[in-house]
Amino acid sequence: MGKLAGKKLILLGERDGVAGPAMEESLKNSGADIVFSVTECFV
Amino acid sequence: MDLQNQQRVKDAAEKFGPENVVVVLGSSDPEGAEIYAETVTNGDPTFAGPLAGVSLGLAVYHVFEQEIKEEADPSIWEEQIGMMEMVLDTEALAEAVKKIREQYSKYSL
Repeated sequence: MGKLAGKKLILLGERDGVAGPAMEESLKNSGADIVFSVTECFV
Repeated sequence: MDLQNQQRVKDAAEKFGPENVVVVLGSSDPEGAEIYAETVTNGDPTFAGPLAGVSLGLAVYHVFEQEIKEEADPSIWEEQIGMMEMVLDTEALAEAVKKIREQYSKYSL
């Protein structure tokens, strides 16, 4: 378990960058709890 | 940042304690990343949302910073994030968020 173990993660993704679900998948085994994950887009 | 998301960040900090919350950004440009990072540390710079004047001081990182990348599952990273890592200016993004973190975050990893 690393630095994120036990932390509460908020993932603020962006449509033209890295989206929320991509970060969620990548970090789901980090030992952190994902509080919420979103993907914003700028218009 | 979306006003509804500002409220959710604020609620999470109250519920779990700001020292336990880590915000990870997936922003595509350094300017946008700075605004997000500033919003969750020093408060909403546009003074429009629930975080206006609220200095949560949360630990904030761009997903491309080493502290986050090294915690990710490497094969899933490659599949989900690898392509954007090649396309975006990862160094500029990491540097932009680090600068705000060093200035305003009360917590870090």
